[in-house]
Amino acid sequence: MSLVTLLTKVLKKYPKLCILKVMMNDKLAGFEEVSHTADLEIKVWGEDLSSLFKAAADGMFHLSGIEDSEEGFSAVKETISLDAMDNEGLLILFLEELLYRLTEDYMLFSVDKISVSNEFSLKAKLRGTQIRSYQRDIKAVTYHRLNIRETENGYEVNIVFDI
Amino acid sequence: MVSTTDLIKISDYEWEIPTSYRADMRVPVRIFSSEILLKDVARDKSLEQAVNACALPGLVGSVMVMPDMHQGYGFPIGGVAATRYPDGVISPGGIGYDINCGVRLLGSRLSYQEGKRHLGELANALNQFCPSGVGTGGHHRLSTREVEEVCCNGSRWAKEKGFATDQDLRRTEDGGQLPGADPQFLGPRALKRGTEQVGSLGAGNHFIEIDLVSKIFDEEAASSMGLNEGDLALQIHCGSRGLGHQVCSDYVKSLQSAVNRYGIHLPDRELVCAPMDSPEGEAYLAAMACAANYAFVNRQVLSHYAREAFESVLAGRVQDWHLHLVYDVAHNIGKIETHQIDGMSMEVCVHRKGATRAFGPGTKELPSEYIKTGQPVLVPGSMGTSSWVLRGTSEAMGRSLGSCCHGAGRVMSRSQAKKTIWGEELLKQLKRDGIQIQAGSMAGLAEEAPAAYKDVDAVIEAVTGAGIAAKVAQLKPLVVIKG
Repeated sequence: MSLVTLLTKVLKKYPKLCILKVMMNDKLAGFEEVSHTADLEIKVWGEDLSSLFKAAADGMFHLSGIEDSEEGFSAVKETISLDAMDNEGLLILFLEELLYRLTEDYMLFSVDKISVSNEFSLKAKLRGTQIRSYQRDIKAVTYHRLNIRETENGYEVNIVFDI
Repeated sequence: MVSTTDLIKISDYEWEIPTSYRADMRVPVRIFSSEILLKDVARDKSLEQAVNACALPGLVGSVMVMPDMHQGYGFPIGGVAATRYPDGVISPGGIGYDINCGVRLLGSRLSYQEGKRHLGELANALNQFCPSGVGTGGHHRLSTREVEEVCCNGSRWAKEKGFATDQDLRRTEDGGQLPGADPQFLGPRALKRGTEQVGSLGAGNHFIEIDLVSKIFDEEAASSMGLNEGDLALQIHCGSRGLGHQVCSDYVKSLQSAVNRYGIHLPDRELVCAPMDSPEGEAYLAAMACAANYAFVNRQVLSHYAREAFESVLAGRVQDWHLHLVYDVAHNIGKIETHQIDGMSMEVCVHRKGATRAFGPGTKELPSEYIKTGQPVLVPGSMGTSSWVLRGTSEAMGRSLGSCCHGAGRVMSRSQAKKTIWGEELLKQLKRDGIQIQAGSMAGLAEEAPAAYKDVDAVIEAVTGAGIAAKVAQLKPLVVIKG
């Protein structure tokens, strides 16, 4: 059993040990780039669907060449609600929404709070700030081999972006 | 994963994956490639993606892949697949997000000797006149109504606005106006994204390039195209911008449920599709035609500004600075065409994703000046390497549904390219080779380095060796504008 799996189990049993969660933040949710000949692919993981979706958004913005804005995310607050046929469809809707607002309105949104329900719907509170530029045009979030998998520590998914 | 040992060799330039390879294959995969180029192919998932595409209902002939193939999403890049019209399916993912991404070539009567001292100024003027880069729109802001007109009328709109000549329209695939476009099938976001991007290059692998016509291989064909050895020419590579991306995204999403309704089982959700005679299939065809027409207009308006850039630098300084359109080809598109398949004349939808139409001599779709020689086929190389002008052959009509390769094809991922190649170093190297580059970002430049692509000359040897195209002219880059 890996250390992460062990700590995840301990956390589930003793949720008050939240200091553990802070220490494990990178392990519980995150993303990494995976090699793809022409487009861009990321592997994303999270302890639950909500943190998976949040990490996927961070990964997409990273590919766009945007890091966290130093000015903070205080400018705009928005709430979005989305429904889909399945979790993969919901993930695409969520990322497409953020991507559209980035490319059309130059708004970078940070996910303040997100809850993904078992009925393939999500509600997210977003904080957005205007940006002046980003480094890379992402044409689309694709369905290519998109499959949210359950793991010992939560969920993971690979996402291919057309660029 | 498909390995090269699964392939049956048909000839030095043709290979097959038979339907026995996997139970869900409705047709075989036909690969146009040389043995050397196949080694690159085996390193990524392009062949597996070609096998996946063989599951589409209504396929006829075989799913073909060109020698510049590489891994994409859903279909491989370099894929060609025909489905019976109208009961076969159309797959938006088999056409791609950049609908009607394509290339056009403009020739000139300006010799390199006469023009070379103006190349620096031309590079600056092209950069100034032709908007490019991430998130950069065009010079024109259109109303939603005007975007709809662009989508319906294609290059005819450009002509009415003074951006095109009759000859430009004649020398664009489908006259720059794909039939059946209906903007009522576009979502509000697609229309909105179309308002600011007509006449803009975008970024990524899109470019404007001044080339030298360095070698002629077919005098008669080159002469009909107005290409002379030693003269300058100009290429423009771009597509339908955000409008096209949105159309594809909208329909890949909405067709997710259609496949269930029509009982279609697919190995990859990116391949979702609908029968062309279903309401969903008809809606996508109409929306795709809108995006295709937007792309034709986009390249036409960029041509107009490239012509203005040439005039601003060269008027009064050289004898003839005029740029005439040789041809404009689409390489991400679905077209309803009639082909001879298994001895029968059949109406089909040819999906070309990273593949170029290459119609042979005598084809009725070609303008009169190309009826005898065949369609000009434009194959841009990677930045800093040769581009090629080919012509379609009669053999291509029978063997590749009048289709050919579209470029060099990537071999290296973007992250690997950025790790191994420095944009600044590459810029210096290209300058030493006599190529001027104007690029939006150094990291972006490194991603598009020649080392990240296959050898375009080897790709050309494979398609000409297979007989699906013939060489007309080779072009060498002199000035490259990238977003």
